[in-house]
Amino acid sequence: MNTNSNIYTVIYTTVIVVIVAAVLAFVSQSLKGNQQANEKADTISQMLTAAQFGTKADFQKMGNKAVLARYAEEIAEAFTVSPDGSRTGDIALDEVFSPSLLKRQNYNIKGGQNATGAPELPVFIFKNGKKVVPVYGAGLWGPVWGYIAFNEDNSIAGAYFDHESETAGLGAKIKDDPAFQAEFIGEKPSLGESKVFEIVKGGSPKDTENKEVIDNKIDAITGATMTSKGLEAAINTWLGAYSAYLLSATPKVEEEVPAEVNEEAVEGEETTKTVEE
Amino acid sequence: MNAKLKETLLNPIFKNNPITVLVLGICSSLAVTVTMKGALVMALSVIVVTGVSSLILSLLRNTIPSRVRIIVQLVVVAMMVILVDQVLKSFEATYAIDKQLSVYIGLIITNCIVMGRIEAFALGNKPWPSFLDGVANGAGYGMILLIVAFFRELLGSGTLFGFDILNRFGYVPNNLVILPPFALILLGCIVWVQRSIQKDLQEK
Repeated sequence: MNTNSNIYTVIYTTVIVVIVAAVLAFVSQSLKGNQQANEKADTISQMLTAAQFGTKADFQKMGNKAVLARYAEEIAEAFTVSPDGSRTGDIALDEVFSPSLLKRQNYNIKGGQNATGAPELPVFIFKNGKKVVPVYGAGLWGPVWGYIAFNEDNSIAGAYFDHESETAGLGAKIKDDPAFQAEFIGEKPSLGESKVFEIVKGGSPKDTENKEVIDNKIDAITGATMTSKGLEAAINTWLGAYSAYLLSATPKVEEEVPAEVNEEAVEGEETTKTVEE
Repeated sequence: MNAKLKETLLNPIFKNNPITVLVLGICSSLAVTVTMKGALVMALSVIVVTGVSSLILSLLRNTIPSRVRIIVQLVVVAMMVILVDQVLKSFEATYAIDKQLSVYIGLIITNCIVMGRIEAFALGNKPWPSFLDGVANGAGYGMILLIVAFFRELLGSGTLFGFDILNRFGYVPNNLVILPPFALILLGCIVWVQRSIQKDLQEK
């Protein structure tokens, strides 16, 4: 048989490609369940890491089942809100906002031709009072996303970021460098303003007592300017959309704060008394 | 024939190693050798891809139209790489490693060893020797990967397969070892050792 004739070549390549496509489609379908379970456990462990229940490495060692169990144990409430701060729906316990869902909401926040409807922003409230919200945006080579946990007074309790294909050793530090993620802790984003959060050169300075200044700035990653800028844009877009909700959810705290201050004041008096004696 | 098969299997491991002698697949060997776990998974993935795609293409070798043979090779190799990636993603134990290796599993498609061995060997030989040739070349590649990863993880993190080895003795991990250039330095040392053992590789 002449294997070099045009008809043979066309038929041959067509058959090969169809067979390969069929094999891939079959394998992809049959492994989908497992892959989604893995992705779900990974996403949940990222949220738990952001809310400071442990380190990402701890959760990786625990295995999928233990991570899901821990989540079920710690989560108090999960629901979606709209950018004006009103609640739009509930999120079931077994439902997770995977990066692909975040991508869709990212389009919805930004509007434009890719938007599919009004943004529905997920909020996860844990039993220790921490609110975890996701952020999503474009890094240098691919998407970057992450989870930011807020204390009741809207200061940041923790953060965890992930990426698809940032440069190892540079941009990938947003995920791999715990020191970078720790920089977020304690900072206070200016919710409701046009620039909610900044990742800048020389951010997060130390004051005279060598304590970190609480503001809405942290230090960018050296050698990863584009990733830092992409992450900053992602945080600003998402926290901008969450501002109304986060600001409206604070009054509860204002009642508690004076009580704490009083306690401290009382303690302070006692100590001064003991000193006098 | 048996001696020839043995040669097919053993040559790529040392005498004709794809990385140190043919200098193929350098790029990925710099990228995935920070930890032993990553290197091991990468090595096994490459062994499976080179072995099975050599086998498939050797079975097809008499039917492939020579004008489109590179395309047919690419389709088969790409299929194998995607299969490996999908399988790694679906197991709990390998999901995190697959994520860590990220693009490099997909980039096995462009690893010169795979296409090189198919062009040079599988298209002209029977399926069984082709399969062995693929596996052996993958193993030769994997061996170098593991040697480099051994030093990089031990000196760079003080651990092996994640277990603490040096840190308990107060070792301070060397950051330079983690960076890609050090992999190149180690590769150079391996080539040096091999060339001083195997004198016929030395240029006059």
